[in-house]
Amino acid sequence: MHRAGISKQIRLLLAALLLMPLLTGCWDRLEIDERAVVLGVSIDEVTSEEAAERESEVSHVKGSLPPPKQGMVKVGVQIALPGRIPLGPGEGGGSNDTMQTVWVITVVGHSMDDAFMNLQQQVSSELFFGHLRIIVVSEAIAKKGMENINDYFRRNPEVRRMAWLMVSKGKALGLMTAAPKLERIPTLYLMSTLDNSIKMGKFPKDYIGVYWSNSSKKGQEGFLPYVAIKDEQNVEIQGLAYFRGEHMVGVTKPFEVAGYLGLRGVNPAGYRAVIMLDENDPNSTVMTNVTHRRSVIKLRLKDGVPHFDIYIELEANLEEKMSEEFEINNPDIIARIERVQSDASVKFYQNIIKKTQSKGSDIFGFGEHVRAKKPKYWNQYVKTKEAWQEKYKEVTFNIDVIVKIRRIGMKAI
Amino acid sequence: MENTDSRQITLIQASAILISTIIGVGVLPLPLFAVRAADSAAPLVTIFAIGVAFLGIALLTWLGMRFPNQSIFQYGNDIIGKWLGTIGSIVVIVFFAVLTSLTAREFGEVVVTSVLKSTPVEVTVIVMLTLAAISARRSITTFAYFHTFYFPLLLVPCVLIAILSLGNAEVINLQPILLTSPNNAFMGTFTIAALFQGSFIMTVVIPAMRKPKKAMKASLFGILVSGGLYLIIVVASVSVFGAEEIKKLLWPTLELAKGASLPANVLERLDAAFLAVWVTAVFTTLLSSYFLTSVALKQVLHLKEHQVFTFILLPIVFFMAMLPQNVTHLYVIIEDIGRVGLYITMAYPGLLLLIAMLRKKRGERNA
Repeated sequence: MHRAGISKQIRLLLAALLLMPLLTGCWDRLEIDERAVVLGVSIDEVTSEEAAERESEVSHVKGSLPPPKQGMVKVGVQIALPGRIPLGPGEGGGSNDTMQTVWVITVVGHSMDDAFMNLQQQVSSELFFGHLRIIVVSEAIAKKGMENINDYFRRNPEVRRMAWLMVSKGKALGLMTAAPKLERIPTLYLMSTLDNSIKMGKFPKDYIGVYWSNSSKKGQEGFLPYVAIKDEQNVEIQGLAYFRGEHMVGVTKPFEVAGYLGLRGVNPAGYRAVIMLDENDPNSTVMTNVTHRRSVIKLRLKDGVPHFDIYIELEANLEEKMSEEFEINNPDIIARIERVQSDASVKFYQNIIKKTQSKGSDIFGFGEHVRAKKPKYWNQYVKTKEAWQEKYKEVTFNIDVIVKIRRIGMKAI
Repeated sequence: MENTDSRQITLIQASAILISTIIGVGVLPLPLFAVRAADSAAPLVTIFAIGVAFLGIALLTWLGMRFPNQSIFQYGNDIIGKWLGTIGSIVVIVFFAVLTSLTAREFGEVVVTSVLKSTPVEVTVIVMLTLAAISARRSITTFAYFHTFYFPLLLVPCVLIAILSLGNAEVINLQPILLTSPNNAFMGTFTIAALFQGSFIMTVVIPAMRKPKKAMKASLFGILVSGGLYLIIVVASVSVFGAEEIKKLLWPTLELAKGASLPANVLERLDAAFLAVWVTAVFTTLLSSYFLTSVALKQVLHLKEHQVFTFILLPIVFFMAMLPQNVTHLYVIIEDIGRVGLYITMAYPGLLLLIAMLRKKRGERNA
């Protein structure tokens, strides 16, 4: 009995030993310095001449495959150089040249994967997308359609849903090579630009995952940050690039982002508004800083067409005044400012809605309200995304804005 | 050594066995199944499925309480005769062997796709199956300890991920909560109910329970907790992604974990942590179906020990696991086998119960 017990243990031990080599995970061993960590990707159009000249024959032989209808793409990647990225503020120093911390390479390809494979052929280490934070698409590509780009990044298990996808004015590659002074790595600077604008109430949370969800929804369209590079290598958010299906159809003004945020009631709020108290006197302006937004969207059917009543409440503080022509020292003047601002806001919100209506791009998700709250109507008259894109043009709105100015700063008049 | 008293399993242990058996590979594609069935009414369909699943387990538990010393493979013979009973048992055995292999393969596919891309799928599958085979050699008491030990580890992280991801949730995605077009809802209900089939393990647990009378309570707890978790996962993923986006994701729950992050940037994506937990969940599921298959074989062949079968089964189960040609083929098979399985895990016990009542058969009351 006792001996049987021992032999049983030995047998178990042997079985365990057999398993050992399987458990070490050696197939996927990849040392951190053998990885090419891709931090950012830019996607640009490419002229057919340049494409023909630079095309590599990695995933197919030249001439065997006609270029896709949208044309070929030029992909730029920003690869982190291991060891070159200083970890703390004390380390490193020296010049802030981009080229020292990252390596920017461009390739051309028929599709995303084709381009990445051409790139892999030129880079010794395996490309790793687990730390990919920024994907920049040029405006031209966004207008042609994002199918391939969305498909590739959705399919790739390494890509995070918290990465940023953005549309650039002009060439996207510029954002990969830019060398902003505040961060040592350009993509991290881009990322913090957007993350901070969320915190300051200047931009909605619009990670790639949110964009994907929005553009999948039947009653909503996706939108992306629209960015441009400025003279000092800094980056400006110039508005929302809005889509209809997979195609970009327009851009809002930077200030109209506030319109989107107000209509959706996103907090914290952070936009300033200029208010002219007397229409004929440019010196009668004050500026207010909106601190809190609230919006209620009510849906009803009016003559068989969805009608939205939108109530928006804005809380604001007064921040500056142009001249000493009038004093801000009593509730009456505050009430006047509030009235002027709310009238201006109504027009402002109506404009931005009209703008998207004319393109059939419902970035606010009004269609989702119809789908969610009037399912019978939706199933009978709308049902598909395409139908809503058309229907959205006919939808009517009634907007009410209440502005409440709470504080006027440290000055008494 | 381990079998001094064969009736040691308590109410909590029995519920724990059920919970950790039910929570398994199915949690990953669950929201996809639910959304395909009913769009934004996915939570409702999940609730229906929980109801169906509870009905199945209730029939089995009722039978088990009627024959508190026997499992379905034994009282089946008493109720419908030796021949028919044996055929019934063999069908159940084959089904659970297939279920084991499909679970292992689905696990392998997820691992190969998302984590260990260059590890052959055969290796992940065989490691998992061997682990289950070794652990299934133990007695039912140890088997119960396995499950009781692991089940808090399964519940807490799943609930945590669901809660953390609720920050990005939008209520409008869950509306309309009622079915608007009931076409696929019926099939979908059964596809999801099929994810609860591991609960059949109850048939071998009841004869080992200290108080078989409490079996129904254990079943109820088991279904409520695991069903509740399923519901939370469906609600969380639908409210975060919206129904249409989920239709584009093969494993929405994994995607949900990818999007969730611990506050203050402690962990920026939880999919790695989630997968680690999920491996445990798959292990307990595999262990149960493997254990059930070998114990059933023992009882059908009237042997004393079930250990013999654990390693004999291994090559057969492994071979079956390798049969599906690709991941889409795998899911077609999983959905079909799952729904067919409901005849085996629900209709068969139901039929037995009916006949037992008509023929006034019941087992000995006293243990």
